[in-house]
Amino acid sequence: MFKKNQSTATAYLFLAPFLISTLVFFVYAFGRAIYYSFTDFNLFNVPHLIGLKPYADVLNDVLFRRALANTLIFAVTVTTLQTILSLLMAVALNNKIRGMGFFRSAWYMPSITSSVVITLIFLWLFQRRGVANYVITQFQMYQPFILAFVGILVVAQIAQVLFERSRQLPAGWFDPALAAISALLAIAAIVVLSFTGVLQVREVPAFDFQYFADVWLSIGGVQVLSIPLLVIIIQNTFTTIPTLMLFFLAGLQNIPGSLYEAADIDGATPFEKLMNVTVPMLRPVTFYVITVGLIGTMQMFDQVAVIGDAAPQSTLITLAYYVYINTFKAGTAPVNMAAAGAIILAMIILVMVFIQRKFFPSEASV
Amino acid sequence: MRNKMMLGLMLLAAAATTQAAAQTTIKINGYAGQDPAIVGDLINRFVKPALAKDKINVTYEPLQGDYNQQLTTLLAAGNAGDVFYLPAETLDGFVATGKILPLNGVVATGPYINSLNAAFTRNGKTYAIAKDFNTLAVEYNKAVFDEAKVAYPDNTDTWSSLQTKLTNVKKALGNDYYGICLAPDYARMGQFAFAAGWKPFDSKGKTNLLDPAFVRAFNYFTGLAKNKVGVQPSEISQSWSGGCLGTGKVAAAIEGNWIVGFLKDNAPNLKYGTALIPKDDKTGKRGNFVYTVGWAINSGTKNKAAAVKVLNILTSPQVQQYVLEQGLAIPSRTSLQSNAFLKKTDAGAANSKAVFDGATDGTVRPYYFGVQGPDWIKPINTALAAVLSGQKSSADALKQAQSEMNTFQSR
Repeated sequence: MFKKNQSTATAYLFLAPFLISTLVFFVYAFGRAIYYSFTDFNLFNVPHLIGLKPYADVLNDVLFRRALANTLIFAVTVTTLQTILSLLMAVALNNKIRGMGFFRSAWYMPSITSSVVITLIFLWLFQRRGVANYVITQFQMYQPFILAFVGILVVAQIAQVLFERSRQLPAGWFDPALAAISALLAIAAIVVLSFTGVLQVREVPAFDFQYFADVWLSIGGVQVLSIPLLVIIIQNTFTTIPTLMLFFLAGLQNIPGSLYEAADIDGATPFEKLMNVTVPMLRPVTFYVITVGLIGTMQMFDQVAVIGDAAPQSTLITLAYYVYINTFKAGTAPVNMAAAGAIILAMIILVMVFIQRKFFPSEASV
Repeated sequence: MRNKMMLGLMLLAAAATTQAAAQTTIKINGYAGQDPAIVGDLINRFVKPALAKDKINVTYEPLQGDYNQQLTTLLAAGNAGDVFYLPAETLDGFVATGKILPLNGVVATGPYINSLNAAFTRNGKTYAIAKDFNTLAVEYNKAVFDEAKVAYPDNTDTWSSLQTKLTNVKKALGNDYYGICLAPDYARMGQFAFAAGWKPFDSKGKTNLLDPAFVRAFNYFTGLAKNKVGVQPSEISQSWSGGCLGTGKVAAAIEGNWIVGFLKDNAPNLKYGTALIPKDDKTGKRGNFVYTVGWAINSGTKNKAAAVKVLNILTSPQVQQYVLEQGLAIPSRTSLQSNAFLKKTDAGAANSKAVFDGATDGTVRPYYFGVQGPDWIKPINTALAAVLSGQKSSADALKQAQSEMNTFQSR
């Protein structure tokens, strides 16, 4: 008995640093937030309980509803994109090829770069005189060249394949060796055509699209997704894929090779092997990846804060940013509304994870 | 022997402690950037010598990042300075905290320009003394106008005559040059609306952006962009219109006295002149903003008497004279308005004069967001950006801005 007590005490002793920080920075802070969400607290007054009014105020706030819509759209889109793409990337990188270590580290770079820095880079890419608009302008200018290249390539490929087949040789439409020859032919033809002046650079006005403006993709007159948020979706997917890819890679190492051998004997195509062996075997990892992805995207804040006033507020505002701007104003601030917003955000995340657990059992059930 | 030495050391230490205890430290919070150097200089030159005998020490702690947010956090935590900058445009939020000491009966407000005192007064209580102020003026590049053989902007210009001049510059010089830089910002456009007779807030505190006066001013401002006569700073890779003027490719900019130091450092060879903001053709009046930051005292200070002394020195005639002559800011004391510096003819002094005169010519209002704070200008700025970049018609943009404003003001 004495021994057992002692070991429990030792365990608590080792857990103490974590427990204390959790108590102070989570339990206490969370309790305070719940308390404030039922009061009239504005950072400077003595809080008085006023019941559910802050929640009613928040739900009536148009900005909050926009933030909620933006957050949900952002979370669902990014989680879906990043889960699928990171799985595909992990499968691609799970091959034993020379120099694979290099590719794995190179692919991982976006994840270890500060998201503030990446956001700034994306701001530059997508500003009015940014790289994105420049590339589109260049594409429009060189459109004759590009179209001619593609056209000649396709014609040459078809001609070669038909020629090979006429000689009774097996040739697929996408045969890489023939494609290389077609590409060389196309390049040669382009060079000739441009020297003879048949192909010329088109005069086009500079492409002038404002990405960080009040522009929306609407469905049936309802503003669904703003272009600034779309830029952040692209950026966020780009930066989170590598981390999630690592989880999938680790999961892939644990799938027994015999399953793939069995599938090979059954004559499964690579796609069938992916869908019927890899995906089911990775289910526990997928559950983890989706959960982490949902929680991370629901709380997305830094990218929006860095872009700040560069884009109209309603196009970018997320729940976490809503909480922030209602807490830090000039002087008194509706901290009770911020707290209510934060509690609602926490509830939504909790419900999402529960639903996901229900429909997506975390244990592999093969 | 050793004991005696110890005793001596202890006595010395005790003496040092009592001396430190007698020394009062007044902490000042203000902007980062150039301000630590300027205020530090003022403290060393004026404040410390005057307060040395009172054993008052003064330190300046700049707040990095968003000043209003930082000050809010410090005030809420009880760590703010004894004396700090207080921007007029966010005064209401800070007054509501109860942490700003009303200065009535504490500091004499008489010697300061009335409109500046008014900017810091709510319900008869004055919460800060204007440190300095600024208004807007038209700064123009003389070389560009000379080359285009167009007359310089001057104080008799109206909206239309200035527009004609800028259009003629663009016509004469072509693609590489622009008439004016237009920042999509209420702070650079609102003065035209004031001239046209628009009031930012009606008697119920509501804002009407569909008021014909506002619409006319909005259309004039955005209309300057027609045919590329005016460009947004971002279109020529600048962050503000002062930067545009500095490139030498833009004929004019609407800025305040802060442009003088910038041009001195970044475009030292640029010859520029300054004219008053043009008059509205219809009302025959000018409009202008007055931007001001005041010195306020923390109501929770433990050293109120010392804080008041520091504030009085920082706003004294000697300090303001010095700041004016260094070309740093325009003084808020009425007595300095006939100062010899303002009669000088160099470009910087001429700019100070125009900015100074701007404060009393026509309809002048403080740069102010109302009781709901800085988010008030967002619908206006969004509308300006949308029209200046050609995404929306002025009517559509204003309609949307008004609906956003209604939502905002009913929160």
